[in-house]
Amino acid sequence: MTIFKKIYDYRELLKNNVKKEIRGRYKQSLLGVIWTFLNPLLQLAVYAFIFPLILKTTQPYYVIFVCVGLIPWTFFTATISQSTWAVIGNANIVKKVYFPREILPISIVTSNMVNFLISTIIIIVFCLVYGLGITKYIIFYPIVLVIQYLLQLGFSLILSAITVYFRDLEHFVQIALMLLFYATPIVYAGDTIPEAFSFIINYNPMAHIINAYRDIFYNQTRPDFHSLAIVLGISLVLVIVGYFIFKKLQKGFAEEL
Amino acid sequence: MQNEYVIDVDNVYKSFNIYYDKTNTVKERLLFWKNSRKEKREILKGVTLKIKKGEVVGLIGVNGSGKSTLLKLMTQIIYPNSGKITTKGKLTSLLELGAGFHPDFSGRENIYFNASIFGLTRKQIDERLNTIIEFSELQDFIDNPVRTYSSGMYMRLAFSVAINVDAEILLVDEILSVGDEHFQEKCFKKIEELKQEGKTIVFVTHGLSSVKRFCTRAVWLHQGQIKRDGDVAEVIKEYVDETK
Repeated sequence: MTIFKKIYDYRELLKNNVKKEIRGRYKQSLLGVIWTFLNPLLQLAVYAFIFPLILKTTQPYYVIFVCVGLIPWTFFTATISQSTWAVIGNANIVKKVYFPREILPISIVTSNMVNFLISTIIIIVFCLVYGLGITKYIIFYPIVLVIQYLLQLGFSLILSAITVYFRDLEHFVQIALMLLFYATPIVYAGDTIPEAFSFIINYNPMAHIINAYRDIFYNQTRPDFHSLAIVLGISLVLVIVGYFIFKKLQKGFAEEL
Repeated sequence: MQNEYVIDVDNVYKSFNIYYDKTNTVKERLLFWKNSRKEKREILKGVTLKIKKGEVVGLIGVNGSGKSTLLKLMTQIIYPNSGKITTKGKLTSLLELGAGFHPDFSGRENIYFNASIFGLTRKQIDERLNTIIEFSELQDFIDNPVRTYSSGMYMRLAFSVAINVDAEILLVDEILSVGDEHFQEKCFKKIEELKQEGKTIVFVTHGLSSVKRFCTRAVWLHQGQIKRDGDVAEVIKEYVDETK
């Protein structure tokens, strides 16, 4: 278990890196951190226009419905697509100094989590403005967040390490994320999927995570603990597998970059 | 404690693949798979080297003899193909100074970032901040962005951070050409001080005079193997005779 100690020893680097990721993203852009809000809000505006007005979706409170799906989804896609660059983008220091390389993917997931926490304000504001309110079920929010964090950490470890050797992965990941967007109940409700295709959602861990957020904020009930437990199991396996893949591949980073 | 090996290099082999035209993408691999030529170059061929606590070792040898590769292996930036390297205690490398310096950030901010790469905590950096700034002699410029620094100032700042990390083992690669005469002398003094404190230091250098001045032991690497290892004066004499 020396890895935890190593990361603890290098906590200052982790902190600096997370700060750099957050600050660096909007550096030299006029609106700065406001983009954290503006980005999902603009997307939200598009969906809120297209679905109820053009496609005649009858889902009540559609804006909140989409918002609760879209914001965790942004957390997911941003983490995954940045992960492919986590190591490559830091080639200059990876080649020169020793530090636990795991810091790099961990920083990506953590900095995006901070952004997600900030964006959650949007969900809460919409819930309040539309009169839906916030219920006691919000206490489950941190649990779902931790599960999502672990899931993404697993993917991040794997993707950041493999992309060093196989740069194409970055492009495959972009396509996969686009497909996954439609395979996840974000703009539509999971139960509207025809029986024949429902497996797509059943096997999609992000679908269960988004359903859980939706239960908390939109349906205002207790999330489905059974499926969350399974997702947690998958996430833990991914983190462990990811850790070993990363550990094996990181030995060649300095030579490969 | 005196006899404890802090660096233990055990029968290490290291080779690099030299690609003539490296293909990284599927498209390139499919199109040019026949042409991808690579060559294996053996850099280290069975090096065994044990260094005790408090020793100051000078690694000498001509270009391409594997000195820097050996040093990089000790820092765990790269890993051996076979054999084992173990080090005990906190290790700092003065291999590539200023790693992770961000040009837009001030000198002060860069001290924090650079020192955190070396594994220091906020508190430890706070404690060392004044020493680092003083050592670099950049008091008047420390809050300016690093991109406005001259290359000498840049190296001075980087060196000051690295030398003040308080490591047990110091790996030094050809850095004593930092800054002007005055600053160089200061670096020498600092290294002398660290030597007195009982730190283990490994030097890679072509400057035989600095080996003579500091080292308690000299190791001559020749074509990936250790040719001579022992008393500084003897090894240097043989080395000079041979390479003349």
